Amino acid sequence: MPEFATLASPYSMPAALHGDVDLTDPEEQTQTRALNQFLAGVELKAFKIAQAALRHEDDALDAVQDAMLQLARAYAKRPPEEWKPLFYRILENRIRDMQRRRTVRGRVMAWLPLRGEDDDEDSDPVAQAPSLEPQPVRRLELDEAVGALEKALERLPPRQRQAFLLRTLEGLDVAETAQSMGCSEGSVKTHYFRAVQALRAQLGELYL
Amino acid sequence: MSRGGESLTEFERNARVVLEESVRRIDARTRSRLNQARHAALAAGGRRRAWWSSFTLMPAAGAIAAALLVAVVLWHREPAGTQPLALDGQHPAVEDMELLTDNDSIDLIEGWDGSFYEWAAAQSDAGAESNS
Repeated sequence: MPEFATLASPYSMPAALHGDVDLTDPEEQTQTRALNQFLAGVELKAFKIAQAALRHEDDALDAVQDAMLQLARAYAKRPPEEWKPLFYRILENRIRDMQRRRTVRGRVMAWLPLRGEDDDEDSDPVAQAPSLEPQPVRRLELDEAVGALEKALERLPPRQRQAFLLRTLEGLDVAETAQSMGCSEGSVKTHYFRAVQALRAQLGELYL
Repeated sequence: MSRGGESLTEFERNARVVLEESVRRIDARTRSRLNQARHAALAAGGRRRAWWSSFTLMPAAGAIAAALLVAVVLWHREPAGTQPLALDGQHPAVEDMELLTDNDSIDLIEGWDGSFYEWAAAQSDAGAESNS
């Protein structure tokens, strides 16, 4: 049956699963595939950036999901080369909204009596069990380095952390980082320089 | 190693290695949730685009509707001072349509005695000639 042989797999065209997209439109298919590929390429790094800012896994997932949704809804028709700065701009706005909401919630909760953590996943013994894989020396070194860097990143001011992660982890250039952060290229250079100085002061020149 | 043509310091290179390692360590559960979120976002974006694309066809649909409306108005409108096409120049075409659709009229036509009418016409012609 040659007709079926031309159909793409559900994973390459996820929107087709919901039956709301005209699959006969090749332009739409190409765009959906390109957007899927782009989001698949940035989602893990975006999650780490959101997690570093929010320090909460579920909030970070929500922020990334919202950014994906907004990009797919509002900016899918824009040229693909614009997607990355747009996506990180949306993500940053979402992170700020969540931080603002959290601050307000924190002020309200400060007046209420303390209560236990509701999140059962944190106490899941299976999730928290140590891996049984043998840990080579290199892995231990990396473990320490990852932990130290994550702690040092937590101590950075938000704009410095954002500039550092977008430049170092995501690999954006100064112009793209400025677009993502909504500031001038000069500000990006300043934030990034200060971030590197602060991290170097905390971690040392050769911490790896 | 460089980033867009810029040379990186050793510290920056190390930091990148460590950050990439932290990304690699993201657990399967989180990866799965991100994957689901991506599929949901793409599906929602597709729905939005499909909804929006229906609006992009609105001008064409409106033009077709307007053309149909004009055609219907012109079809039903009888211009003042003119009669619709008729075979004898006196009876409107609508009356011919009634004759064709009326069963009694068809019966009358079927029972038409041609010879009688020919005789009557000849008589009237003869009478006119004799009067002149």
